[in-house]
Amino acid sequence: MRIESKVERQAPFSLQVEGETLRAYPGETIATVLVERSPVIGHMANGDAQGLFCNMGTCCLCMVTILPEGRRVRACLTAAEPGMEIGLG
Amino acid sequence: MRKADVLIVGGGLVGCATAWHLARGGAQVTLLEAGDIGMGASGQNAGSLHFQLERRFLENGEALAEQAARTAALSRLAIDDWRGLEAELGADLHVVMDGGLMVAETAEQVGVLERKIARENAEGLATRLLDGDEARAIAPYLSAGILAAGFSGDEGHADARAVTRAFAEAAAHAGAILRMRSPVTSARRLDRGFEIACADETLQGDRLVIACGAWTAQICARLNLHMPLFPVALLMNATERTAKGLRHLVQHVGRRLSMKQTHAGNILIGGGWPARLAQAPDGTFDPRRRPEMIAASLAGNMRAAIDTAPFVAKLNLIRSWTGVTAISADQLPIVGEVPSMPGCWVAGGGSAFTLGPTFARLMAQAMGGRAAPELDIVSPARFEHLNSFMG
Ligand SMILES: Cc1cc2nc3c(=O)[nH]c(=O)nc-3n(C[C@H](O)[C@H](O)[C@H](O)COP(=O)(O)OP(=O)(O)OC[C@H]3O[C@@H](n4cnc5c(N)ncnc54)[C@H](O)[C@@H]3O)c2cc1C
Ligand code: FES
Repeated sequence: MRIESKVERQAPFSLQVEGETLRAYPGETIATVLVERSPVIGHMANGDAQGLFCNMGTCCLCMVTILPEGRRVRACLTAAEPGMEIGLG
Repeated sequence: MRKADVLIVGGGLVGCATAWHLARGGAQVTLLEAGDIGMGASGQNAGSLHFQLERRFLENGEALAEQAARTAALSRLAIDDWRGLEAELGADLHVVMDGGLMVAETAEQVGVLERKIARENAEGLATRLLDGDEARAIAPYLSAGILAAGFSGDEGHADARAVTRAFAEAAAHAGAILRMRSPVTSARRLDRGFEIACADETLQGDRLVIACGAWTAQICARLNLHMPLFPVALLMNATERTAKGLRHLVQHVGRRLSMKQTHAGNILIGGGWPARLAQAPDGTFDPRRRPEMIAASLAGNMRAAIDTAPFVAKLNLIRSWTGVTAISADQLPIVGEVPSMPGCWVAGGGSAFTLGPTFARLMAQAMGGRAAPELDIVSPARFEHLNSFMG
């Protein structure tokens, strides 16, 4: 998923999404990590799979929960941080 | 020149629903909409189906409350219309009619509720009073501070974005011609019938229906008629989606509040908090431009929501918007044929999401020759004194 050629990244760190340990690089948003995991980040009321929509903070379709405190944030605007625990839904 | 049996100005819920009823009854109908279907109040509103007397009718004296209670016959018809609408239109409109609560937080408000319910029952509406615990038993999300609630089993909500479109599609399917982006710029009475024009077409019709919401007075003025409908600007808000938990329409008898959960899970919060209408350079109100939000309205609306259903405090507000609707000089809707101008019908004002489908059906019925006495109470006849020097 990530561009690999001619890109230098800092060392990755790990974080948890729905209990899965995933990898992220400094500067990436939570949305980047989610999309690499799966384009499906939730489900609509009718059961259809749902992904990110605007990726710029407008639609609020990408809201995730920062655990354990339960704060709801927009994944596309929030930087991934080492050790974060994220819940979908 | 194109001719029609009926010309309709305005493609909101009322115009589109009227077009549908008339077209399926065999009339040749042409509807002209200035922008797109549902871009006025019909696409901006809260989608509440409210059949309890509205708070605004309870805080302006007994006479108004009494008069408003007499529109209960229309509410009773609207309940049946909404229960059948999805099947009739063959569309999923997210109609939910699981009941509605109008809550009270003070002893004084409980008194208002009691008087309101007595009025409604006398008019044949089956509302009943629940005490705080009874209300929380069916609506566990309500705050401990709620002392009582008026409950109507028929109240609920529907998706405002879907309803007007569905009426428009059904109207087109039944043979009505719907023209978008065609603002009507002139309207006049002929010896027989009416003539209206937009930029690229002039049309004649035996009858004219003016269903332009907040713009009704402007089109009436083209016909040299006064119509006391005024634009008002309101605030709406939506929270992020959350698990299903709020089944009812929730309103407040003493504070401006309406609350419901959409099919997708968002909580829609409104209830009549004002926004500021835009003004044209000449100082008149311009309903076409988006009204400005008033910070105090937003704060007050959220406070009322949280005091009523505390779980709302945990949710993010993801959107607020303003919309323009029409209010009449006496707050009741204005629907019917203008006595001094036979053939000219007006429909505007009031809670015409809830009542619009019924207004449309009854107007079409009356135009078809079958009297609709339920509309008498909202007839424009009560404002004819304003037109005694016009015409
Ligand atoms: C924020 C808000 C919340 C509301 N909440 C509720 C609610 O919960 N329940 C409820 O029952 N009611 C509610 N209402 C009221 C309800 O939305 C309106 O009563 C209803 O939608 C009116 O429908 P309408 O077809 O008469 O008008 P509109 O939907 O306003 O349609 C009028 C149409 O006429 C068009 N038009 C104007 N001028 C011209 C012209 N010159 N030529 C051609 N077309 C023209 C406009 O573009 C517009 O599309 C709310 C209103 C607002 C603004
Ligand atoms: S994807 Fe639209 S706000 Fe994040």
